[in-house]
Amino acid sequence: MISKCTHRVATTLLRSGISVPKRLYTPANNQIPFELDETDEKYKELNNIYRELFTPTDKANILTTKDIESNKRSEVDEINEELNSLYSVGVLSPAELEDAVKSNGRFVIRSVSTNPYFNLALEDYVFRNTPLTENKTGNERILLYTNDKCVVVGKNQNPWKETYMRNIASRGYNFVRRRSGGGAVVHDLGNVNYSYLTSRESFRREFFNQQLVQWLSNENITLNDRGDLIYKGYKISGSAFKIAKGKAYHHGTMLIDSDLAQFKGLLKPDVIPGVEWTCNSVESVRSKVDNIGGKAISSIDDFCNLITDQFRNLVDDSEIPMFYCDESSSLLEITEISENLRSKEWKFMSGPRFEVICNDVTIKVEKGVIIESDWPELVGMPFYKFYDEVREDDKIFKHLL
Amino acid sequence: MFSSSISRTAFVSSRIAKSTVSRLFLRAQSTNALNQSQLPFTFSQTGPKTVKYTTQHEWVAAHPDGSAFIGITKYAADALGDATYVELPDVDTELEAGDSFGSVESVKSASEIYSPVAGTVVEVNEALSDSPQLINSDPAGEGWIIKIKINDEADLQSDELLSLEQYEAHLKEDH
Repeated sequence: MISKCTHRVATTLLRSGISVPKRLYTPANNQIPFELDETDEKYKELNNIYRELFTPTDKANILTTKDIESNKRSEVDEINEELNSLYSVGVLSPAELEDAVKSNGRFVIRSVSTNPYFNLALEDYVFRNTPLTENKTGNERILLYTNDKCVVVGKNQNPWKETYMRNIASRGYNFVRRRSGGGAVVHDLGNVNYSYLTSRESFRREFFNQQLVQWLSNENITLNDRGDLIYKGYKISGSAFKIAKGKAYHHGTMLIDSDLAQFKGLLKPDVIPGVEWTCNSVESVRSKVDNIGGKAISSIDDFCNLITDQFRNLVDDSEIPMFYCDESSSLLEITEISENLRSKEWKFMSGPRFEVICNDVTIKVEKGVIIESDWPELVGMPFYKFYDEVREDDKIFKHLL
Repeated sequence: MFSSSISRTAFVSSRIAKSTVSRLFLRAQSTNALNQSQLPFTFSQTGPKTVKYTTQHEWVAAHPDGSAFIGITKYAADALGDATYVELPDVDTELEAGDSFGSVESVKSASEIYSPVAGTVVEVNEALSDSPQLINSDPAGEGWIIKIKINDEADLQSDELLSLEQYEAHLKEDH
């Protein structure tokens, strides 16, 4: 899926006869990050194709076996060549990424990968490796990325209390525990994530969303008292923050055209009858959500262009580079962070301790392992294994699922 | 186009001015000295031998027996806002100077905490599990986070560590 999406961009860019520069500078009020000396029709086609990159339809899977068979073999070779040349110029190589991140200066990165583990690892890598500077705001950086279907919880949450883990798995969502604080959110290809990195000294929680309200300039979009963006009373964006080593980032979601009907049944309500949790973990604040696609912004691309252009305006530097990354840009450190995020150790074995009473049976869990229970045979078992074994019709534990 | 960029600049400078004022106010308000009536101070009869601070806003109070309490400063606690969760390390965890040993979550922010000196965790403040707000109400006293056994007391004399006066001067510096 991912490689096919990338493939499509490669094919499109090169067939249009556009040379892809090493750094793609977006002119301030332009929609696409390169000069296009063509008719408006071409322009439109390119935008449409780029939008399709983040649209989960079968259309995105362009190169089916049937297609390939019906085309001339030479065309497939041609596409492969084009793909190779895209990787070498359009997307940052690992060395180019490392160089950009470890040098001083502002930039924007747009990831064209939709792998949530890669994207969060990329974010963490940029965060860890951005140098500290004497100047007050530090090296401001913005990351933009879209994740395929996943439920993402804050690092200090209890995943079993906050999410319907069984539904997450059966509907093909990934379960992800991020490095920042905050509550549980659902991502899909209709959502775009933004991440703004700055120095700890100049970090203010509300800063970036205040900018977004201005930039989106829509009278129906406001901030609520938790600093979340609201459209006519519905939450359109959720935020979380991380502070470490003199730096800080604010990352948030922006619902553009997510499949909200599918979100139902992924996040648990505050209270489920028959289940009583005792834990100090961070609780999610339940909110009604809505998309803003077609209301305040037309597409994920539009949103990314808006942020990039307005950020350049804000800091009065039209030369801020916009880089593209995907999994081929991975450095060893990114691969390691990504593997850690994917591990059961990080997801289930290192979060806050808790106790749960389900129909009078008590289970006490520390570091993911059951350490005390009215059912002694459970002691010593990782809670995720116990959860996996509970049947949908289990008389005692079914409400835990 | 030209006029809009001027108003943008005006907006930016007013934002910076506002943020600087509130930060300086916060810095002036914080008293970062150790609370003399709580365990980090009263652990030894004579009080701690050495109290030092880091630029990452931790304090360390070292006692004659080689043990030291570590917490975050009043300034850091005020800047973070209401703590909702404190992530504590395991006892026996070995730490190098600068290692992250836990985090404080407040208003959706996870903030890492670093050890000012090398040592082994001998005790964690369990009271923070049920009452993370102690981080805000008494960060340099009841809200201590860990107690460690220091590897080498000479580390306390490192140039990286600040005295209370140096720390408060550091806070007042306008970078």
